[in-house]
Amino acid sequence: MTSFFNATFINKRCKTVKPESGPDRWRDDLGPAAAQPDYHRGVTERSEPNRVLQNPPVFPDVQLVTGLGLVWSLAQLKSFKEVVCVSGLDLQRLTGLSQAEVQEVLAAAAAACRSHSPVTALQLQRGEHHGYEFGLRLGVGCPVLDQLLRGGLPVGGVTELSGESGAGKTQLGLQLSLSVQYPQEHGGLNSGALYICTEDPFPIKRLQQLILEQPVLRSDVPPSLISGIRFSDQVYIEHTADLESLQVCLSCRAPLLLAQGLVRIIVIDSVAALFRCEFQADDWLERNKQLLAFSSSLRHLSHEFNTPVLCINQVTDVFNQSADSLGPSSSSVCPALGLAWANQVTVRLMMRRLQGMISRGAQTSALRRLEVVFAPHLAHDGRDVGVWREGVCGVLDAE
Amino acid sequence: MRRPLSSLNLGTNVKVKLGRAGFQFTSDLQHLNPEQLSQEAGVSQQEALQVLQAADTGGGGGTFLSALELLQKEEGSRSIVTFCSQLDHALGGGLPVGKTTEICGVPGIGKTQLCLQLAVDVQLPQCFGGVEGQVIFLDTEGSFLLQRVVDMSAAAVRHCSMLAEDEEQQVAMTTFTVENILSNIFLVHCRDYVELLAELHLLPAFLQERTKIRLLIIDSVTLPFLQLFDDLSQRTRLLQGLGQKLIAIATNHNIAVVITNHMTTRLRGAHSHLVPALGDIWGHAPTTRLLLEWEGSQRLASILKSPGHMETTAQYQITCEGFRDAAQSEQPQSKRSRTFTD
Repeated sequence: MTSFFNATFINKRCKTVKPESGPDRWRDDLGPAAAQPDYHRGVTERSEPNRVLQNPPVFPDVQLVTGLGLVWSLAQLKSFKEVVCVSGLDLQRLTGLSQAEVQEVLAAAAAACRSHSPVTALQLQRGEHHGYEFGLRLGVGCPVLDQLLRGGLPVGGVTELSGESGAGKTQLGLQLSLSVQYPQEHGGLNSGALYICTEDPFPIKRLQQLILEQPVLRSDVPPSLISGIRFSDQVYIEHTADLESLQVCLSCRAPLLLAQGLVRIIVIDSVAALFRCEFQADDWLERNKQLLAFSSSLRHLSHEFNTPVLCINQVTDVFNQSADSLGPSSSSVCPALGLAWANQVTVRLMMRRLQGMISRGAQTSALRRLEVVFAPHLAHDGRDVGVWREGVCGVLDAE
Repeated sequence: MRRPLSSLNLGTNVKVKLGRAGFQFTSDLQHLNPEQLSQEAGVSQQEALQVLQAADTGGGGGTFLSALELLQKEEGSRSIVTFCSQLDHALGGGLPVGKTTEICGVPGIGKTQLCLQLAVDVQLPQCFGGVEGQVIFLDTEGSFLLQRVVDMSAAAVRHCSMLAEDEEQQVAMTTFTVENILSNIFLVHCRDYVELLAELHLLPAFLQERTKIRLLIIDSVTLPFLQLFDDLSQRTRLLQGLGQKLIAIATNHNIAVVITNHMTTRLRGAHSHLVPALGDIWGHAPTTRLLLEWEGSQRLASILKSPGHMETTAQYQITCEGFRDAAQSEQPQSKRSRTFTD
């Protein structure tokens, strides 16, 4: 949302000026401009000739225009974004404008940079604010797990799924790539999935098996609907062997797919692999920078396109529970990549492999447990799950 | 007071015109009204008004308050309760209105939960000991999930309706509903530090219109500034400006400012320990600093820095109803009903 002011913009405002004093008109004039997120829109409306006669812009516009011009020439600030980052006193010193004029310039720059004006939570609940969909969740496909997650993965942030090898993380990732393709009334988002593999090649045979078994897993959905969905066509698979290609994928290809509505979930399997092997122990500063850049681009994609992002992570052993612990001292493993990554994650889930087996019909599976480590809207809770032919399914707790 | 006009907060062209007309000091401007000044100096009416105002106030100085007036003002103002009585007691009633408070802790400890709880608690009617104000929430992390806010509001309404005894409280309960609570929470999503700074520039104008706002929450202030890892000096400068702006907003508009901060690891010799992020310079900005941490499986809230209170620690828990006291009984009816053992 950064805007540049150029000669055309200043020209348009100069054409329609008529000097007229009055502090009240000034407040009215800046009011609508401040409320509209696009400052330029207000300019073109006012430059129409009939609008000029009815509602001539007033004296402060000239001041604002000269103010902006001085900011551009004397202060060498070329965009509203740079203006917002400079303090009022610095601007006064650089341009020689008075305090009131500088405040006007800052208010105009801030109005151009803000994303949206404040909305109330009630408006959000009623869906009156476009862009943020209240309560939209991506279901996992199993009613027990959907109940644990209160509907499923939230669409506006990064969800992390960590666990030991063989715990079933990739299985859950595959299952989500299929459940996203169902319509919204069945817990999906009516779109495809982007699956980025960073270590092992994509388990294509397992995906085919899951697709065949969808009618068994999703017994709540009418079979005609399931057969109408072309599952494998809508799963986009990328293999990225290093950080650079991952960044290229996230900055070029992912936004294209998301903007066209072809995908509505990004699964990255796994994040730890690239960061752990590409950096030495003393390169942690560089690693942190890359990690921040990566997580920042993930978050931007997630918020801009209202897409859930699932990052699969590995775990490390915890050797001694020191005083500075990152979680309740109850486990011997914690997710990899440390505090810097943990700060970027909205929802943290963990899949553990437990002792014992469970059986369902003719199938048996090793017992696993999906736990919520932290989430803004979820209780610290877990459900026992098994990995079956048709996918990951929770079992109701005996307790 | 006799001050040279060049030291006042005016534009250079105005100062030049005044100088050419022969006005050197503020005493020269006495007994002049705006029309006379604009005629003599050749400045416009509005500029003449500005000059006289600046000369009167001595360049924009503040008014003086005696310590007794300040004490009366502080005693008259209420605090925002957190619903955890141990923590409220340690803070002397709750979070103070008119001051900035920082909440830091590791991810998952409950910072956002406490912020959401405060967003609901600030709206408690005055007859229940609340502040009855509105709240503006600047969300930079995307952790403002409406499901949770609805849960907490419903729990607060239930809690108050159980407590409602006399006439006044019953009347207040008719307006204290989940819908009303949601309508009093203003939300802005800020995706990077530029949007956050822009929002804070526009906040004073917003607060002038909505005088009932008593709480500003920024969750979190660290995340947008992490992008500036390349240019630490710019980051420090922006943070200092931000801190000053927040203090100005808190005192001028009489609102409580709550900021959330992350933790980062600091290495000291061979040991590493967790400290609040954004450095020591940011540490000077908030008045009070609360640290939320784990001790075993218990959550603790400690007051790290406060001008008026001792450094105490309180236990708390997060239940499905929100931020509450740690349960004293053996079987806590809490969200964390299971501790997992391998």
